[in-house]
Amino acid sequence: MKDAAPETQEAGLSRAEQRQSRFAFVRSLTLLGLVLLVWLGLSLMTESFMTSANLSNLARQASLWAIIAVGQTFVIITGGIDLSVGAIVGLSSTVVAVLLKAGLPIWLAVFITMGIGPVVGAFHAFGILRMGLPPFIMTLATMTGLRGIGLLLTDGQTIAGLPNAFTAFSRQSFLGIPSLAWMVVLVAVPAYVLLSHSRWGRHLFAVGSNSEAARLSGISISRTIYLAYILSASCAAFVGILTASRISIGVATTGEAWELQSIAAAVIGGASLFGAVGSVPGPLLGSLLLTTINNGANLLNVNPFWQRIITGALIIVIVWLDQLRRAKR
Amino acid sequence: MTLLDQPRGTAETSQQGRFLVELKDVHKRFPGTYALKGVDLAMRHGEIHAIIGENGAGKSTLIKILTGAHKRSSGSILWQGQEVALAAPQEALDLGINAVHQEVVLCEHLTVAANMFLGMEQQRLGLLNERAMVRRSQEILDDLGFRLSAAAPLSALTIGQQQLVATARAAIRGTKLLILDEPTAYLTRAETDQLFALVRRLHSQGVTIAYISHRMEEIFELADRVSVLRDGELVASRVVAETTPEQLIRDMVARSLGEIHHKEDIPFGETLLSVEGLSGPGFSDVSLSVRRGEIVGLYGLIGAGRSEFVECVFGRRRRTAGQVTIGGRALKGVNEAEAIAAGIVLLPESRRDQGLCLNLDVGFNLTLPIFRRLSPRGLIDRRREAEAIGTQMRALDISAAGQQAPTWTLSGGNQQKIVLGKWLNHGADLFIVDEPTVGVDVGTKLQIYRLFAELLRKGAGIIMISSYLPEVYDLSDTLHVFRQGRQVSSYGARGVDHETILADAMGTANKTSNGGKAA
Repeated sequence: MKDAAPETQEAGLSRAEQRQSRFAFVRSLTLLGLVLLVWLGLSLMTESFMTSANLSNLARQASLWAIIAVGQTFVIITGGIDLSVGAIVGLSSTVVAVLLKAGLPIWLAVFITMGIGPVVGAFHAFGILRMGLPPFIMTLATMTGLRGIGLLLTDGQTIAGLPNAFTAFSRQSFLGIPSLAWMVVLVAVPAYVLLSHSRWGRHLFAVGSNSEAARLSGISISRTIYLAYILSASCAAFVGILTASRISIGVATTGEAWELQSIAAAVIGGASLFGAVGSVPGPLLGSLLLTTINNGANLLNVNPFWQRIITGALIIVIVWLDQLRRAKR
Repeated sequence: MTLLDQPRGTAETSQQGRFLVELKDVHKRFPGTYALKGVDLAMRHGEIHAIIGENGAGKSTLIKILTGAHKRSSGSILWQGQEVALAAPQEALDLGINAVHQEVVLCEHLTVAANMFLGMEQQRLGLLNERAMVRRSQEILDDLGFRLSAAAPLSALTIGQQQLVATARAAIRGTKLLILDEPTAYLTRAETDQLFALVRRLHSQGVTIAYISHRMEEIFELADRVSVLRDGELVASRVVAETTPEQLIRDMVARSLGEIHHKEDIPFGETLLSVEGLSGPGFSDVSLSVRRGEIVGLYGLIGAGRSEFVECVFGRRRRTAGQVTIGGRALKGVNEAEAIAAGIVLLPESRRDQGLCLNLDVGFNLTLPIFRRLSPRGLIDRRREAEAIGTQMRALDISAAGQQAPTWTLSGGNQQKIVLGKWLNHGADLFIVDEPTVGVDVGTKLQIYRLFAELLRKGAGIIMISSYLPEVYDLSDTLHVFRQGRQVSSYGARGVDHETILADAMGTANKTSNGGKAA
């Protein structure tokens, strides 16, 4: 009987649907276009950019940032922020190194280290929900504190001599693609399903959009916040392990300022720090762009100080353009 | 058909007594306010029960207690004959109590369908069944005759349409008691009709409806019974078919002599402000004038266009026609700075948001307009500042822990005194006060009235917006009544009775109702 819905309604439905999906689509296309444009420019300007060695290197670095940026995006969608991800990378890289040096099998060392994610993430959520700390302060505190734990654990020393099987992983490729890039797939696909096709993901958006509306609809705010921070910390713990494999050592200062890279990647990818806006492809493209710029600037022998200035300016321009487009809608 | 496949408990409910919900001697005290003073209220299964009363009568508090947003101070609530705690929103939801608030509480970033299913999403194999939710939402919307797309983001809808979505949402949530809090305040007539159709439909399925409204015609159109609240007490509970609008208005406004506060006798001076044929978004063709020493009251229901009018006078809203003259000088109406320079002060309704820096201290707020004077060489002269603040606090009789007390620790009345008082000695001529005594206790109310008198004696004029009739009635030298964006009548001081004014504002005199303005 419902097939007899008025025609105007049908038209309105499809138009609204189109408009919405087109907007997200256009944004990721623009970003992809920008990445390709930079790639094209670099391959014309330098000889070394389009070499498989360079591209693999670029993919490896981008992968590490992409994974923490995806985790960061979950938190940002709830309207929060996770400043601790860089410190978690550092801590987990030292913990996995210490465990491996102690002779634990790789699977066990990795398993134990991954435990840092849920523990730290749950602590963040606890501080935010129960102690009433703003996310910025809570994660700022652990950012400092976790770094300290890593340093204490290693007495500030570098831990070298990790098993070959462990360090070889990050240099391997599968089907011509670096294994670290496969790790992105391993994280991003479930993350996409969770965020865009599960009830949990829907609740993340609802809490970020209007937590009062979510609460009045019977959504558990605290469970949603726990989920977001645990996912973010877990992504960071995972990246810590991958980083230890990549640089073959455990150093407590690994991943310094990566929290800022992850926030920048998420925001470049269209996430809003006011919450309720964000996607999984966004931070992936965002970190690819940031990595490309760093890589390209190195190849072009641009002063590394300038690199920082360029990155900063780029963040402002991209987010500003996005604001303009939103306002026009 | 889409709504009828809900499980309905008509058979079981008939055995659980006559009442779905009963409030017995419910009290609610807030710091500084006694909001509910022993309310006894019972709602029968399946009735549409209207609750009316003036602003501050306790309606919102009652709703908040029923939805678990506030816990009652004492008294008991029976749900289908069983005592319930109702201490949290989730408890109310579990019982089947849903509320649609005057201000829409939904997620703007999500689609209509996502909002309708928020917290009870449909899933297939553990994943969201987006298609099914959009289809079902669209069915419900079509079925109700709402011409809305379920896949559109909520932010693309007007406030009125969002209100319809919020109401339709209750239809799929196994609601037993639906509370509608002034749902039509921002709706057009067409939207109001759609809403009423939905309410009747839910009613026909056995849902009990608590309908809070200011609009008399809606009550007579929809409700079975009507309860009247006044000053936190239930003063009457009547069968709609056996009463009249006049009777209900008498119930609403009746009060004892002790509550009357006439304005002090202050002689009028020259004309300060004159407005001729002013029109803008939300109101049209308003003319009035204010003399020195005069209080001009603007009365009307929520959405009548009074706030829009004063904001236009103040230059905050676009002017489409008309003229505003202050002190013989015409205002171009381009921005607020022009109005402020001309000596107009607007004290907005939501003083918490617009009038005060709540987390800063009392002294800071009091000296905000005179920073420049206190800092002749760029640096703030601490001694002069402390003196100025001390003088102000004594003059206004502000009770606070001290100059450094954070403003949020003060009672609503003391906060209001700061909002008003900070302008006292700063050359402002015309004060526009929007709902100055909302949420304020009687003692503070009197102090605010005395503050008005003080301003008037200094040669100021006041435009006062209030939805509390006794207040505008007693204090105004001239009273203009607004309805649906128009100035429907004007009276001299107490030239007419309450009933007439309320009837003007509600439009019951000629029974014409063409909805409110579109938001």
